[in-house]
Amino acid sequence: METVSGILIIAGSALAMIGGIGALRFRDLYSRMHAAAKAPTLGLVFVSIGAAIAIDTLLAYTTLLLVVILQLLSSPVGAHALSRASRRQTPVALDGPDHLTRDEQAAEHRRDPV
Amino acid sequence: MTAVAIVLLAIGAAGFLFRLLRGPSLSDRVVGLDGLQSIVVIAIVVAAASTDSGITIETVLVAVLVGFVGTTALSRFIERRGN
Repeated sequence: METVSGILIIAGSALAMIGGIGALRFRDLYSRMHAAAKAPTLGLVFVSIGAAIAIDTLLAYTTLLLVVILQLLSSPVGAHALSRASRRQTPVALDGPDHLTRDEQAAEHRRDPV
Repeated sequence: MTAVAIVLLAIGAAGFLFRLLRGPSLSDRVVGLDGLQSIVVIAIVVAAASTDSGITIETVLVAVLVGFVGTTALSRFIERRGN
């Protein structure tokens, strides 16, 4: 049991490290958000299971279950709110250079007015 | 076990801290802050597991909720103000 909890804690910490490296190395905001929102959440799930095995009390089980549920609910909501806010602040052209700054729906609308 | 986990978490925290200090836009800084908060939550859980008593396990709940409220408030702020 000691070994199982140790492996889970180290695996979760490695996932958090992968998230940090992704937030450091990726090129644009949405890729960074993709790395920073998902990998540490799965890391927290792994570390919580490992800690619950290591501590082995009822208080630890219930508290860590609540922590995992709250993190799984709040992390996508926070990432979605942040990406929506920054997407609305991005200037969007009808023919931008990449997918993030091109508004194909507006271009369609402009070409074929109803 | 704890030492290896702390080293891995420190490397991840360095990445998020660089993004917090150097992010080109305000949204990048919020990404760094959110990730740093996740690292802190994981570190508290690791510390609670290393003491085998779990005495610090309730603080994790507060840290998760504060991080969520902080990220959402900063997103609303960016939506109003612009990056």
